[in-house]
Amino acid sequence: MISLPSYLIISFCLFIAGLTVMIARKNIIAMLLGIELILNAAALNFAAYTRFINQNLDGHLMSLFIIVIAAAEAAVGLAIVIRFFQIKESIHIDDATELQS
Amino acid sequence: MDYTISSVAPIVLLPFFAFVINAFLARKGGKATVAAVFLACASIAGSSIYALKIFKDFVFGNYAADYYIHKVFTWFDLNGGGQEFAVNMGIYIDNMTAVMLVMVTVVATMIHIFSTYYMHHDMNYGRNGRFFVYMSLFTSAMLGLVLSDNLFSVFIFWELMGFCSYSLIGHYYEKEKTGNASIKAFMTTRIGDVFFLLGIVALWTHIGSVSFVDLYAAIANGAFSGVTVLGIPLATFCAVCIFLGTIGKSAQFPLNVWLPDAMNGPTPCSALIHAATMVAAGVYLSLRIYPLIELGNLNYFVACIGGITALGAATIALVQTDFKAVLAFSTISQLGYMVLGVGVGSYNAAFMHLITHAIFKACLFLAAGSVIHSLHDHHTHEHVQEMPRMGGLRHKMKFTWFAMWCCTLAIAGVPFFSGFVSKDRILGDALVMATHSPKWIIPTALGFIGAFLTAFYMCRMMFLAFHGKPRDKEVYDHCHEEHFSWNRNLPLLFLSVFTLGIWFSGSLTGQGVVKVADAHHGKYEWFQTLIQKPVVSKFTTMQREDFSGMDTRVKNSAEKSHYDHNHGLNEEEAHHVHHVHKIGAIASIFIALGGIFVAAMMYLWNKWNPGFWVNTFNRYYRTLQNKYYMDDLYIKGFIQGLLIPFNNLLSRFDMGFYDKYVVDGWAVVVRYLMNVSKWFDNLFVDTIMVDGTGASVRFFNVILRTIQSGKIQFYIIMIILVIFGYILAL
Repeated sequence: MISLPSYLIISFCLFIAGLTVMIARKNIIAMLLGIELILNAAALNFAAYTRFINQNLDGHLMSLFIIVIAAAEAAVGLAIVIRFFQIKESIHIDDATELQS
Repeated sequence: MDYTISSVAPIVLLPFFAFVINAFLARKGGKATVAAVFLACASIAGSSIYALKIFKDFVFGNYAADYYIHKVFTWFDLNGGGQEFAVNMGIYIDNMTAVMLVMVTVVATMIHIFSTYYMHHDMNYGRNGRFFVYMSLFTSAMLGLVLSDNLFSVFIFWELMGFCSYSLIGHYYEKEKTGNASIKAFMTTRIGDVFFLLGIVALWTHIGSVSFVDLYAAIANGAFSGVTVLGIPLATFCAVCIFLGTIGKSAQFPLNVWLPDAMNGPTPCSALIHAATMVAAGVYLSLRIYPLIELGNLNYFVACIGGITALGAATIALVQTDFKAVLAFSTISQLGYMVLGVGVGSYNAAFMHLITHAIFKACLFLAAGSVIHSLHDHHTHEHVQEMPRMGGLRHKMKFTWFAMWCCTLAIAGVPFFSGFVSKDRILGDALVMATHSPKWIIPTALGFIGAFLTAFYMCRMMFLAFHGKPRDKEVYDHCHEEHFSWNRNLPLLFLSVFTLGIWFSGSLTGQGVVKVADAHHGKYEWFQTLIQKPVVSKFTTMQREDFSGMDTRVKNSAEKSHYDHNHGLNEEEAHHVHHVHKIGAIASIFIALGGIFVAAMMYLWNKWNPGFWVNTFNRYYRTLQNKYYMDDLYIKGFIQGLLIPFNNLLSRFDMGFYDKYVVDGWAVVVRYLMNVSKWFDNLFVDTIMVDGTGASVRFFNVILRTIQSGKIQFYIIMIILVIFGYILAL
């Protein structure tokens, strides 16, 4: 039977995947891809809840918002990556150690 | 008359304030010094006005001889409220105080006036008024002593006067012998003062108070019977110790060496201090503690000391050639008479001799100053003091000659003069004691021989200086003719007026005849009624009065005792006493006139040759010239023989042993302790606490700084872990 938990599990798996990508990849743009996956997981979560619990359109609307936000965020993130590249001449995440004590 | 503190305090405070102001004002020189001198004279004159007022109230108020005013305030209190350790200060005024106050203030005023003449040229009134500064302080101390009611404040003023004496004797301090003389005076009186203080402490320990009134009450209550100190009865011990203070201050026999050297000071200072007041303070003290002396059976000892002093100093004065030295030794001799009077129990006569002696001796010293000042040696630019260089001065200095003759006749004991009244009475009482028991013959004989010698050497001094032919032509020619100047001659004439006997006895012959009426018994001599031995039984119910309060006791005749002209004896004994007194009076007259006659034969008419006597008793003559070798005894015997080797021994012990081991030894100990401290500091503080803290911080730092790795992925992991942990904990 397709029920809420199965959607939640899928969303959870997407989240973990995105998290793994963020943790494991050393390329900044790859990390941005991971962020997209996480956002997607969250959107799926919202949509699942509106389908099964609340029959209005809030969750679906929220997904649209998330897409817009993801796009804006990606733009900002890429701006940061470009700035980062202009300074450090590399997009390896381990070169961002300014906060290291 | 109600006495508050404000009617008595100015007596002491006026000269004291003059001292304080002059201490700053007089140094400035010029007009400031003149103002300071004027202030000093004015303050003592003001004191004399207050003193005269007290005198008028007491003497003409017909009070009994034992009337007194006693006011007390607690100076400090160690016990906090109780009277056990309280030190009470106060004033005590009776007839004796009143007469003494008048004498001191009036004589001091005259001396201050004379000093304005004498010290005028000594660098602007005595080194810019320094002389007057110390004179003011001295008079305030003396007046404080006269007014004080307890031994402790007597001691305070006593020491203050000792200091002033030191400063005044050492006035010309650039001369070495003057400096030595001032130190000698201070040190010699100090020896007496140590024993005085010991006596005060012994008294305080056993009686609990040092006030005179408490002392009399304690004597009356028998607090002294059976108490011994080191095996000596307490009364004897205290009386001896306090009397040793008198021996020191009044230049009695063992401690008389300072007074002749004190003549190095300026003559007015000698007149005030060493004739009239400071040396009289010792006798005044003895008079105040007289009941204690009587109780301690010390009368014979006191009389002997007085007699030895009187005769010894008189014999030394025979051979002196310095004008002031004769006067110095005569002072010592007359002080011996006063102490002799205290010893034989003639309280009244001893005090009267104190007063009369103060007046004529001060006048003598001032006149001597006047003589010395006018004789100027142009070669050494000093004033001539040696009698062999004087002679025939009566033509040049008539007023001084007249004043000096009045005083010389007084001191010699010629009838109609004051000295006769007092000295005759002392000798009469001594004779009475001699008729009681043979051992009293010794002081009596010493007194009578001393009287003969006194007449002799004083007239010798007068004849050598004023009569005959001038021995040093140059000095005589340069001596100025004396004109009457108010500040030189007026004090002399004023004081010489009071050398007449009529002031003290109320009659021309000075014996037992009437002046002032006594309401109960008809007429008696006024001075004799005034002053009596304190009757201790009257002091048992003593009430202290508060210092600021008014005198509330009843003062009319209901309180006073009548004057017992028989002095407590029955008629037959009183008749015997009068008889002996008459014999003594006649003997005194013959002795005095005899002394003057011998002096005249030797020095005025030159019939007998004094050189004969000098040659016959040559060795004795030389002993006299060396003052019985007393100075040598003290200097070579005590100081060089005993004290300096003792001092060397002590210093060897002190520097050799004590300094080296005990004091320097501490340095070794301290150095060892320092090393221990260094070890402790290094180990515990530096290594463990300071470095250890750093090491522990570094240790944890290595662990903890991995959190801030700067790696973003690490941060993400941490976030996720913490969130999961939080959710799991829920």
